[in-house]
Amino acid sequence: MSVETRSHRSLKASERWFQLLLRFYPPDFRDEMGNALVQTYRESAREALNTGGLFRLMKIWFAAFRDSLRNGLGERINPAVAWRRAGDWGRDLSTVGRRLRQRPLFAVAVLATLTMGLGTFAVVYTAVDKILLEPLPYKDANDLYMVWCQCGDLPHLMVSGPQVRGLQGAGGVIESAAGFAFGRRTLLPTENTEAAQVTVLSVSPNIFDVLAVRPVIGRGFRQDDLAPGASERIVISDRLWKRLGGRREIVGTRLQLSASTVTVIGVMSPDFYFSGSEPDEENKPDVYLPRDFTQGEANDSSYQAVIRARHGIPEGEVRRHVEAVGRFVAESHEMPGHNLFAVGIQTEMVENVRPALLALSFATIFLVLVLSVNLASLLLARAAERERELMVSRAVGANGLAVVRATLLEGGVLGLAGGITAALAGIWGTRLLVALGPSDLPRREAITLDWEIALLVIATGALIGLLAAVAPATWAARASLSSLMAASALRGSASSHRMRRGLIVVQVALSVVLLSSAGLVVGSFRRLLTADPGFKPAGVITFELGLGGEWMFPRIEDMYAFLNRVDDAVRALPGVRAVSSTTQLPLSGGQNAASVRIPGAPGNTGDPEKDRRTVGRIFTRAGYIDAMGMRLIEGRDFAPVHRPEVREALIDRHLAKQFFPNGSALGAEIPTGDRQTTVVGVIDQARLYHLHRDDGMPQLFVRAEDYPGRRPSLYVLRTDREPLSLMPEVRAAVHKLDPRVAISNVETMNQIVAEKRSEARISAVMIAGLALGALLLVAMGLFGVISGAVEQRRGELAVRLALGATHDGVIRLVVGEGLRLVLLGLLLGIPGIYLSGQAIRGLLIDVSPFDTATLAQVAIALLGVALVACYLAARRVTTIEPERLLREG
Amino acid sequence: MGTDRDRRLETLLPLRPVEFLILLSLAEGERHGYGIMQDAKERGGASIPDVGTLYRALARMVDQGLIEAGDPRPAPDPGEERRNYYRITAIGLKVAKAEARRLEGLTRAARLGGLLEKGAK
Repeated sequence: MSVETRSHRSLKASERWFQLLLRFYPPDFRDEMGNALVQTYRESAREALNTGGLFRLMKIWFAAFRDSLRNGLGERINPAVAWRRAGDWGRDLSTVGRRLRQRPLFAVAVLATLTMGLGTFAVVYTAVDKILLEPLPYKDANDLYMVWCQCGDLPHLMVSGPQVRGLQGAGGVIESAAGFAFGRRTLLPTENTEAAQVTVLSVSPNIFDVLAVRPVIGRGFRQDDLAPGASERIVISDRLWKRLGGRREIVGTRLQLSASTVTVIGVMSPDFYFSGSEPDEENKPDVYLPRDFTQGEANDSSYQAVIRARHGIPEGEVRRHVEAVGRFVAESHEMPGHNLFAVGIQTEMVENVRPALLALSFATIFLVLVLSVNLASLLLARAAERERELMVSRAVGANGLAVVRATLLEGGVLGLAGGITAALAGIWGTRLLVALGPSDLPRREAITLDWEIALLVIATGALIGLLAAVAPATWAARASLSSLMAASALRGSASSHRMRRGLIVVQVALSVVLLSSAGLVVGSFRRLLTADPGFKPAGVITFELGLGGEWMFPRIEDMYAFLNRVDDAVRALPGVRAVSSTTQLPLSGGQNAASVRIPGAPGNTGDPEKDRRTVGRIFTRAGYIDAMGMRLIEGRDFAPVHRPEVREALIDRHLAKQFFPNGSALGAEIPTGDRQTTVVGVIDQARLYHLHRDDGMPQLFVRAEDYPGRRPSLYVLRTDREPLSLMPEVRAAVHKLDPRVAISNVETMNQIVAEKRSEARISAVMIAGLALGALLLVAMGLFGVISGAVEQRRGELAVRLALGATHDGVIRLVVGEGLRLVLLGLLLGIPGIYLSGQAIRGLLIDVSPFDTATLAQVAIALLGVALVACYLAARRVTTIEPERLLREG
Repeated sequence: MGTDRDRRLETLLPLRPVEFLILLSLAEGERHGYGIMQDAKERGGASIPDVGTLYRALARMVDQGLIEAGDPRPAPDPGEERRNYYRITAIGLKVAKAEARRLEGLTRAARLGGLLEKGAK
């Protein structure tokens, strides 16, 4: 064997040895430096062989082994270029920034998507937060509870004096307790003001301590303010203080409150009010009056109670403690069954708007889901576009983790940026909402995006970005090197497109659920808009006359004589068509329940239980049916002039049907006390509770004059003029008759109806906004997927065109495929529609959650939008020039 | 001038011996790995780096921006693979000078301190 071949063989063996030694190094280093390393060793080996023969070569072999062992393991533990393998946030960030700059359209698409979706979310969330969840102006409101009495199966009854006393003396987790009661009194004219009706809240002297508030002027109550003989001291609201002139020297001022003289000792801050758990603008008290609630009788449950629990005590423990107090009081006063229970003040407030909140949170979750899916689809398309890059970085040893991290970071950064633009959009959106919203939008001044919501939106953006990046990141990490290489030979990868199509189906399914819920809620609101409440609200204005008590009109005849003079004066005003007054306006809730029998009526069954009906009794004066625009089914209204010896009543359709199923109810006699009341007419209900359906109880209208304890102080005027423009003349007329009589609670019936509808309207507008947002997102997503598909199939479509297919034909083909995805999504959405129907049931009025017409409309609308999106995307086909494309291959 | 870049340079100092050797070698012109080793040998320095140490340093220094990959050239022997050439960057040159100054200062101090004979090379 020649020297040449022997040295050649030794060198070959050396090379194999060096290649083997490379195994000590991590793959990325091996990929990058391996060849150069081996080459360098080979040159050393050749030199060694030339100068020192085999022995020197062996030394090189050994040195190479030691070197590779040391540096190979060293490189594994402490890589020279750490980020390439394990990733490095700063470097990833700059990479992400560069990538986004390279593809501004992608970044814009993602930002637009997020801004749209999260911006809607921000506006709706703000509106819900500010309108539906008005914050209570007390410190640590979470520790405040209302205490109610449960007697037998009657829940939510008021509490009695001994119960208030029990709560105040309980100690333990109950830090303090106070009783309170509502009343209305007349504040007689002062030098600055006319007579006014004010809401007076009688309170335990410690009420301000319980609420942890303090008057801003003067002082709160002390126990000795209750001392017998002390003149009555009051704390007034900021609103009343301003009305009285807004001077700081108000403390010590004496006022005439109905029959008593009171002294102002303090003024509350502008944002303070306390009215228990009912945040009702009308009921916000203007006067707080101290009263001893502990003196009441055990059987007189006419107070409300509020307690403050020790800070941080869980609700369950507070409830148990309050129940224990209730049992103790019940035993010591021998009132078995009178149990106390506590409800968090905020919980109770939220209770009223719970159906709306539930539906809105549900809608919001869906919007955010649709948004995430949309974003995932965009990121996936992006990842697929980058697969060559992925392939290279995987090939140089970047492991799955690094690729996942880079993709996640991209999502997170985009999400964060989108969150910020969405917060900005939210700021403008809320302004737009306030500007475009109805003039009676509640708390419109408070509807602004605050920091917490902005931060929430930004954080949600980042989170959605990360979540949305999970799908493409998993795809990128799982895609094996070989499949990446194979796929990159084609244009785009089939697997990413399959996944994107899957995401579109999911998106359509989510949106159809949201859209159908919105459709149902909006449909239900439309029904409410057209509902006939049983009266004609247009042209009717109502107000309350402060008729005081016996101190103002010692004899009831005096009061009615005064009311008749008011009637005449008002009727004489130009444009007034009808005047009457009542004790209870429609849609005001509440009722005076009474039990009615009509002996001898044909509908009686003979069973005394069934022949007695509990009715809601409404006390009115003559002309009410006409003034309110109620429907008279038969008979007539009360006689214009009251005659004490005649008692007249009107019954509603339900009573008439029960007692007179076939004939006329007119002339029927209802026994009332020692006399008979004659039915003179049958009416349709002027509903007290709901716009869209009759009250649970039949209505019975009786003449107020027949019940001396009742004061029909609520006036109803029907006019041809703009109702509110009538009021200055009405005020002047009443003032002329008696300056002590205040006019308050001026409201048109239209306003009352709108208020009744406002919650439903807000829910409807918001849920529709969310659904519209989702619809736009789906349209954007479809557009992206279809145009991506066209791009991916350029070659195939070019062949079709070259073989004689028309552009229209190819567009039809592409659109058809898009619509198949949409139809699949619609089908998948059906179970979701059923589930969501259950969730929004509480919001729906006279609409089944599965109303076919609405659902069909939603499906058609969605298909229409999808069709447009697909068509616009598919039109890219026309940019294909088959000759060029096929030539390029 | 205390610019940001200068401060950044200082964080790279002191260089490892192998890094200084690489910069020293590349300061004269483009080299491939084996060429750098040859230079070190010719310079008669105390230590000739291991091949692995050298290539790890090269990878790290490319990442730090001290050196960059040169244009690949055909190998002298046909049939062999192309070699990886490296060249020094402007920053690399600055760093090398700064390191040289640092070493010079240390040497001067050692001489003043009597650790080195005066004039000794």
